[in-house]
Amino acid sequence: MSGRSAVDRLRQWGRAVARIARWEASRSAAVVDRQTAILGLVALLLAGAVGGAALATGGVALDRDIYRVGVSPDSPYHEVVEDSPALASRPPDLGQLGRGIDVVVRDGQFYVADSQKAQAALSTLRDAVRRHNLDLMGAESNQSAAFPVVVTLTYAEQGSMTPDGATVDSGTAGGTDGGDGDSGDEGGLSGESGTGQTTDQTGTPTADDDDDGSLGVPGFGAMGGLFGGSTSGSPADISPPFPFGALVLAFVFFIPMNFVIQPYGSSILNERINRRGELLLVAPVSPTAIVAGKTLPYLALLVGITAVVALAIGGGAVSVAAVAPIAALYLAATFVGGMFARSFKELTFVTVSISVFLTSYAFVPAIFTNVTPIALISPLTLVVHDLQGTAITAGEYAFATGPFYVGSLVCFLLGVGVYREEDMFTQRPVPLKFLDALNSRIHRPRSVALLSALSIPFVFIAELLAIAVLFVLPVDVSVPLLLVVIAGVEEVAKSVHVYAGFRGPFAGRRDWRMALTLGALSGFGFFVGEKFTAIVQLVGLPSLTLGQAAFTPTGVVATPAMGLALLLAPLLLHAVTTSIAALGATRSRRTYLVALVPAIAVHAAYNLAVVSTLG
Amino acid sequence: MGEPRLTIARRELQTLRSEKTIVLALLIQLFIAAFSSFLVVGLVSLYDPSGVEGYETTVGVTGDARADLLGVVDEQAAMDGVGYASQSTARAAFERGEVDAVLLADRRSGRVFVTALAPDGSVRTTVTVVQLRDALSAFERVERNQRSSYLSSTPLDLPPQSGSTPYYGFSYTVLLPLLCFLPVFISGSIAVDSVTEEFERGTLELLRVAPISTVDIVDGKVWAAAALAPAQAGLWLALLAFNGTAVRHPVAILTVVAALSLLVVTLGATLALLAPDRRAAQFLYAVGVLVAFGGTTLLPANPINSVARLAVGSVGPTYPLLVVGYVALGVGAYVGLRRAVPRIGIAD
Repeated sequence: MSGRSAVDRLRQWGRAVARIARWEASRSAAVVDRQTAILGLVALLLAGAVGGAALATGGVALDRDIYRVGVSPDSPYHEVVEDSPALASRPPDLGQLGRGIDVVVRDGQFYVADSQKAQAALSTLRDAVRRHNLDLMGAESNQSAAFPVVVTLTYAEQGSMTPDGATVDSGTAGGTDGGDGDSGDEGGLSGESGTGQTTDQTGTPTADDDDDGSLGVPGFGAMGGLFGGSTSGSPADISPPFPFGALVLAFVFFIPMNFVIQPYGSSILNERINRRGELLLVAPVSPTAIVAGKTLPYLALLVGITAVVALAIGGGAVSVAAVAPIAALYLAATFVGGMFARSFKELTFVTVSISVFLTSYAFVPAIFTNVTPIALISPLTLVVHDLQGTAITAGEYAFATGPFYVGSLVCFLLGVGVYREEDMFTQRPVPLKFLDALNSRIHRPRSVALLSALSIPFVFIAELLAIAVLFVLPVDVSVPLLLVVIAGVEEVAKSVHVYAGFRGPFAGRRDWRMALTLGALSGFGFFVGEKFTAIVQLVGLPSLTLGQAAFTPTGVVATPAMGLALLLAPLLLHAVTTSIAALGATRSRRTYLVALVPAIAVHAAYNLAVVSTLG
Repeated sequence: MGEPRLTIARRELQTLRSEKTIVLALLIQLFIAAFSSFLVVGLVSLYDPSGVEGYETTVGVTGDARADLLGVVDEQAAMDGVGYASQSTARAAFERGEVDAVLLADRRSGRVFVTALAPDGSVRTTVTVVQLRDALSAFERVERNQRSSYLSSTPLDLPPQSGSTPYYGFSYTVLLPLLCFLPVFISGSIAVDSVTEEFERGTLELLRVAPISTVDIVDGKVWAAAALAPAQAGLWLALLAFNGTAVRHPVAILTVVAALSLLVVTLGATLALLAPDRRAAQFLYAVGVLVAFGGTTLLPANPINSVARLAVGSVGPTYPLLVVGYVALGVGAYVGLRRAVPRIGIAD
């Protein structure tokens, strides 16, 4: 055995993985009997028919007839009300105002009931009239009188004298006017003053971008109308750069993932029911090989589907490379869920949670793709850039997908740790299983620091979600709350494996000295991990100022100089607070939870001080 | 014979409680609601400057139509116009950050050609562009009025601006139906898992040798799962009302939710009996529910719209008929399943 080279062992491992993968694939395919296949086919055909019908009838109206407007049939506004799905027409009876009717239109006057609903109805009516006017003018024969103003929208960076964003001319103006040529000549406020760059007449922006290009100007081109705001035409046609079309298309990547993790989770949990996985476990293959073999077919399937989707919607290799780590994290999280869950019901909730959390994590930042570089936190932003035809640098790719790669690796490591008999076939509560999984990675005090560092991607994800959710609250509530939540997330991430350690490898050494050692080590590991991400930000993405500002409370500082000045403070903070929590963890779960309170309080106070002094 | 069915239902609910999955379910729903609210608030504040406080935009205006345009810009709320004699001075002011945007307006061949320059790559971009659009639309109306003799029709006067929040429609047509129907879908999924798990673990055989019929077993599982959805929906309605979103006709809404819950749970249980493997059953259930709910949104009276109109109070006096229709649908499906179970059960 010892004589065999590492290459041989690796080859054997690979063969075992391939064998298990083949077996998993054929077994999963066999599950689908003829009846299920027919039912599934019928369901898919129905889905297609529904989708087609939705497209054919022009979409769905969830807000049909929710507001009632009193308007007589001979009023010019009657047609407007009839055409708007959200508005229903009623007789113009002023006596019914506020009871059955929200707004009454009579003799050119608008009577509005005294309620929030009536105000909303009035606002909807205003939009409908505006749309109606636009249609009316579009039908005019004299277009230069109907649309006397032609707008060309251009972008430029402020405060820099360097050449800036591509100026888009009116090549995409569409049919609203006959003035394409004219506005094309007009094309440069910036062009004439010689500081900007005009485009060629086909409407494709020239790529300038040696410094900030891929993060800067939205990639409007021939697809400007679909993938971003429109940039020229009548004033009503221009809109801000919002990548709506690209976002909707990017969502298509997510649909198959939600379907694939279901059978994957089932397959993992199936091994654990009635000790079915025991045979595989006693076979001469390592748990890592089993897990890799069981996962590989699903990962390959997802990557394959992703490639097909990318081909269908016009994405390139970048889209596939950006979506693949998301798929990996989906599977990794489902694997951990399948290892921890006690029943199918529990697994369902776990997979639904995974879908919801990962989808929102990928989606929320991508909305801001054209607004701020912080959007790069999500790999979906890369897809949006790819669909818009903007280039992506290696640094941006690493920044967007890094947490996903590390996160899925950590999830698989934790799951493989409990892929053993005593955890697989016992019905234990999820928290205990989680502690077991952590303990399987703790061998010596040093391991605690490593686990802390590895928790960074999850802390990152949790904090971003907190920002997303708390965003809706007013600022004076959300900022302090956010600081407390961030402190809470970090304190738990730093100390939960210390607590696990005291229930496992360090059970015999529950004294204050051990607690301080572990606390300091854990704080140090977290600090190093945090600083590493800060370095990635500073080096890889120099223009990510907004991101640095947003994450300053977590210890990431805005400039290297400030970073040096404050380098030791966060290290001290992390070590102290984790030690507090670790002292509590030596006794029982209750004392651990109690000790978390002062730890979080100290951390939050520090955050608050940092935020208020740095402004 | 009511007792064993209730016992089974109680046992179902007990496992849910002991696994604390119901807490997770509520958290998921809360999160989805918060997430969708965030999306809307974020999008609205990006699109509608009136939703964002304190943005005063200064616009540099130049070109030979600048006098007319300047007049319109100054009339806009939260906008300020500065005239510049030449493009280069306007551009320089933009570079220095003295103005947030530049409008170059020139009259040529009977039209006004405006080239707008907006700041790039910041949160301000969207707000500025929307403000420019509003100002230029107002300018368009002025210019159009001067040319009205060439037009065959006149545009309608716009209704006055209202003080409405853009979130009002969203709360009733998206958020509330979402919170009402998510529990329904989750309940159906619970029914699928509950039935397939008995098959997978082989415990269904044990249950069937007990002195109860297969119909009783299915009854107990359907009752437990179907009762969960209206309870959760009621909780969300109460929370919404507490939060200031007044919900009309709560009893009617909960009845509709209960009826649809019965329908969806019945669908889930039927699929689980037909395809006892969890993978197949869950897949069929997910696609089936998607198709059913996606399909009904095309109908004039779809569940989402019904709940939204009930909640906002835009229903006529005949609304109890609508509610009765949903109840008939749910109960009909349930009775149909009870009839079919002996045949499916024996075949397996």
